[in-house]
Amino acid sequence: MDTAIEQKKLEEMLDKAVREVTEKTAGVHLHLGSMPPAGELCTVHITFKKGFQSSLTLYADSSMLARMTRSVIRKERVSAQDLEDFSKEYFNILCGRVAALLYKATKVPARFGVPSFHQGRYKPEGQRAQFALNYADDYREGAQLIHYVPCHRADTTH
Amino acid sequence: MGKRIMVVDDSRMVALQMQNLLEGTDYEIAAYCRNGDEAIAQYGQVLPDVVTMDIIMPGLDGLETAQAILEEHGDAKIIMVSSLAYDDTFDEARAIGAKGFVDKPFEKEQLLEALEKILD
Repeated sequence: MDTAIEQKKLEEMLDKAVREVTEKTAGVHLHLGSMPPAGELCTVHITFKKGFQSSLTLYADSSMLARMTRSVIRKERVSAQDLEDFSKEYFNILCGRVAALLYKATKVPARFGVPSFHQGRYKPEGQRAQFALNYADDYREGAQLIHYVPCHRADTTH
Repeated sequence: MGKRIMVVDDSRMVALQMQNLLEGTDYEIAAYCRNGDEAIAQYGQVLPDVVTMDIIMPGLDGLETAQAILEEHGDAKIIMVSSLAYDDTFDEARAIGAKGFVDKPFEKEQLLEALEKILD
């Protein structure tokens, strides 16, 4: 099943979810930027399993995710495992918020799989990027959220 | 004696966060399970006062796990803790017998309120 939703509307929903969840989860204020992050990156990725045929990928500066992790676990030093666990949980919450906003707009209940975490830039196979949102924080670190759709789809809607 | 909580969540971040938030309260984490199978196996041994249950987990999801526990232990008190906070999920959780819902990300007050409500 798939339900069409205008790309602009979807972009607004994703933007709202990113800002709200990032602020509430780790107290980090993100604003839209013009450039993707260029430092050392981590990737978190999820695929919708029910309701929508798409996936979401977040590329983020490792240093920004480490800062967010520190604020949540209240420790000065974070391990690679802490960083991975936090990143997956943060993206899980973000995608849940997206699913809630999609439900409000379409009445289609969406479910997604467990997030995967990758060091560096990971690109899901068999999918093409439909659009990307770039973010920067007050420390000039940032993130990029990409909405992927299956390669066989030629349309521009979700 | 404090009320005993079983936390079921594939993210240890959530268990850690709950432990931080519940410090100095009447609640203690009696068990932490990272998936549904573990929770089903441990519930009867731990017999917690309340279970907090994530929904998106590898293997059995939280709704399936809650249903399995409730089939075996009808008096189990389960709170779903998830970011999938919308009517369809609320309805499904209620239908299987979950007694509450806490929206992620949560704060101390929300968590305590839900725990107090279910144990009242």
